[in-house]
Order: sequence, then C-alpha cells, then structure tokens
Amino acid sequence: MNELFAVFLGMVLINNFILVRFLGLCPFFGVSKQLNSAISMGVAVTFVMAVSSLATWLIRHYILIPLDIEYMNIVIFILVIATLVQIIELFIKKTNLGLYFSFGIYLPLITTNCAVLGITLINTNQDYSLSGSLVAALGGGLGFTLVLAMMSGIREKLEMANTPKSMKGLPIAFITAALLGLAFVGFSGII
Amino acid sequence: MPIGILAAIGLACGLIIYLVYIKVPQKVKGLEKTEEITSILPGMNCGACGYPGCFAYAQALSQDPELITKTPCSQVLQDPDSLARLEKALGCKLDAAALCKKALVHCGGNSEVVCNYSGAPTCKAAAQLLRGYKKCPYACLGLGDCVEICPQGAIAIDPEKGIAVVNPDKCTGCGLCVTECPQELIELVPAGTKIGFLCNYKPLKNIPGRERCDYGCIHCRKCFKACEFEAIDWNKETALPEFNQEKCTLCLKCVTECPQSTLADFTKLGREKEAELVAAE
Repeated sequence: MNELFAVFLGMVLINNFILVRFLGLCPFFGVSKQLNSAISMGVAVTFVMAVSSLATWLIRHYILIPLDIEYMNIVIFILVIATLVQIIELFIKKTNLGLYFSFGIYLPLITTNCAVLGITLINTNQDYSLSGSLVAALGGGLGFTLVLAMMSGIREKLEMANTPKSMKGLPIAFITAALLGLAFVGFSGII
Repeated sequence: MPIGILAAIGLACGLIIYLVYIKVPQKVKGLEKTEEITSILPGMNCGACGYPGCFAYAQALSQDPELITKTPCSQVLQDPDSLARLEKALGCKLDAAALCKKALVHCGGNSEVVCNYSGAPTCKAAAQLLRGYKKCPYACLGLGDCVEICPQGAIAIDPEKGIAVVNPDKCTGCGLCVTECPQELIELVPAGTKIGFLCNYKPLKNIPGRERCDYGCIHCRKCFKACEFEAIDWNKETALPEFNQEKCTLCLKCVTECPQSTLADFTKLGREKEAELVAAE
C-alpha cells in the first residue's frame, strides 16, 4: 500500500508528466487557454491513460513476454492506444452524446499525445504490477490535469494583465511555464 | 514471426473496432440530420463559421436552421449544387446572393508614410511598433499578411497606394483575412454592397484619426445631403454614413461629392485595381 502511494505521489508531483518529464507539451500550450477545456482535456487524458496502461500491461504480460518479443513494445503500444481511443470515441458517441460533445475534438487528439505512450513505456521500464500500473496512470493523469488547470488559470489572468505587446500570448505563456517548472523542481527528492 | 504477431494484433484491433461499431446499439436519436448536413458541408474544418469543425457546425444547424443566415458556411454558398441540397436538408429557403459576403479593406491608402520601416516585412511586426509607419494609426500597411493567408489569391497589394485590395470575384468571404489583419481593417460586407466606405475609425470620441490622416472621413455629411434616393442614413452615434443597398441606385453622386474620396464604388473597387495590376505586370 505504501509503495503504491509513493508511486502515486511521485507521478503527480515529483515526476510530473508535463513540468518534469516534458511529456504532453502540445496540449499544455494548445488547450490551456480556458479552465473548462483544460479540465475536460485532463480528464480525457487520465481516462485514456488508465485504460491503455491496463491494456498494455495485459498484452505485455500475456503476449509479448511469453513470446520474447519485448523489443516491439513501442509499435504495439501505439497500435493499442490508437485502437483504444477509437473505441472509446465510438462508444461515447453512441451512448452519451452530451459527453461526446463536451470532449469535442480533444478525444481523437489524445491518440497522438505522448503522455499516453509515455505512461505505458514508464510502466514497462519500471516493471510495475497491474495495480502499480493503474495507480501510476491515474497519478500521471492527475498530475497532467493539475498542471493544465494551473496553467489555464494563470493564462486566463494573463489575458487581463497589462503585458507588454510583444510578450502577449505565447511568449508570456512560455515564461510562465518555465517558472512553473522551476517551482516543481522543488518537489524533487521529497520521497 | 514478430511481423506475424504485429499483423495479428493489428487485425485484431481493427476487428474489435468493427465489432464495437456494429454491436454497440445506436441509442442516441437525432444524429441522422446532423450526419446528413455534415455530408453536404465541405468537410475542410476551416473554422470560418465560428465552430470548431464542420460536424459541430452541422450539429448547431440541425438544432437551429436559422443559424445559416447568421453564420453561413462560405464554401457552401459558392456551390449552387450543395446549396440546393442544404436547403432541402434544412427545409428553408436560402438566398445565396444575400448571404454571400465579400471582404472589404476599410482603407483608402492616402495616409503619408512618416518613417522608414526596415524590419520584418509583415504587417504584424510593423503594427507592433507604434501601430505602423503611416501617419494614420489605422491605415493599411500593405505588407501583405492578408495576401499570404488568402486561400483564393483574391487579395493584391496596390503598389501606388500601398494598400491591399480585394477582388470580389475571387473572394469567397471565408473571413481568414479579417482575423489575420493586425490593424483590424478588413470587414465582411454583403456581396450586394454598392458603396464601399474606405476608412476605419469608428468611435467619434477620442479620434486621433482625423488629424493624423489626410484621407479619412471628416464627418461633413456631404454624402448624406447629396443622395437623392434617401439611400444614406446618418448615424449620429458614430457620425458615419450608413448605406441602404436596396434604395441605392449606384448613381455615384456621394462618391463624387465626398471631399476626402473616402467613398468608392464597391462593385468596381477590386476588379479595376486587379485589372490595372495585371496590365502593369
């Protein structure tokens, strides 16, 4: 139990996906203009991360390791993640249209989000158990959502702020991201 | 062997998607119309209508067919065939000529150049330095950001005046130049517009425009008085003329009467310029 908690905390804060591992930077800047869309993106990513780490754990342990073809991790994981995202999209579209529209364009975009491939490869490298992989995925997703929400909150304020004209928009967002990253370095080594 | 496994997993994934597609029951009704509309729309997801994509636009249209008059899809309006299909799908009559919009650059281009700009040759860069290098801070800078973005190649730079001119024959009214222009000079006007107003400052209070630009509207009301057909209304709030396209007979009296030559015949504006430019080349 303690170990799982350490994995969770490590994924949320110490090895945060965006600010420490630098994975999933595209939605970090692309979808962080408004708090609402940032949170929906974060929830969608967390969900896909959890499902795909479950699926890839099963595939790795029941197909790849017995057949001794672990070197094909990446290509098979990409295949599986793309399939999962498509299935989830189809499923949501057919069962809950409201949810489908609130996810909007973000759901198919997750296919190419490197944070999702990242969590499956991290699980593989660290050789987590099934529960460990799930906890790591949930923690990673939560950390992703947390940083996205923080960034979008700051950017919403920045829109109002009196920034110099040449710094408006992305330049000031990059600087903000750098400061946020510095803040997260402070978490390193607390476990 | 590994290739076989990869292929097998790929096939299995495809099969699962197919199974999910046919097995999961279609519980949600009401998407049929959206899908019908989506098949008519161009599917370019250009976003000019203000929705994130053609599917979202179709969804909005299926709920409120009136929307097509407010934010029409400029691509569909160009194509009579798909327009007819859309009319059928929405169950309402569409007048393409009334909905169709054209871009108009609200600048006459007589503002003096007051300094020598040698920076990056884009309007965006130039506009950040004290709103450009012309006397009027609202003037068209003529560095061609709109020319670059126009997918139809409908915009050209008039080398004499250094402003952008739009050829209404080529313009589809997609509105990409409207968002691109850093001076916010370009506006989509109805395609049937007869008189173009070539000046960009609107609020009457705190206008730095008049004393800085030699070409702008001086609010003399001469056009308003000259019109014999009551086609021009004088907006007291903004102190600018408003044109009634139905009453206008295109007698061009207001154009000749305007002391600042702020008015121009919109039906000829872009086409003549384009012909001149082609001849010059």
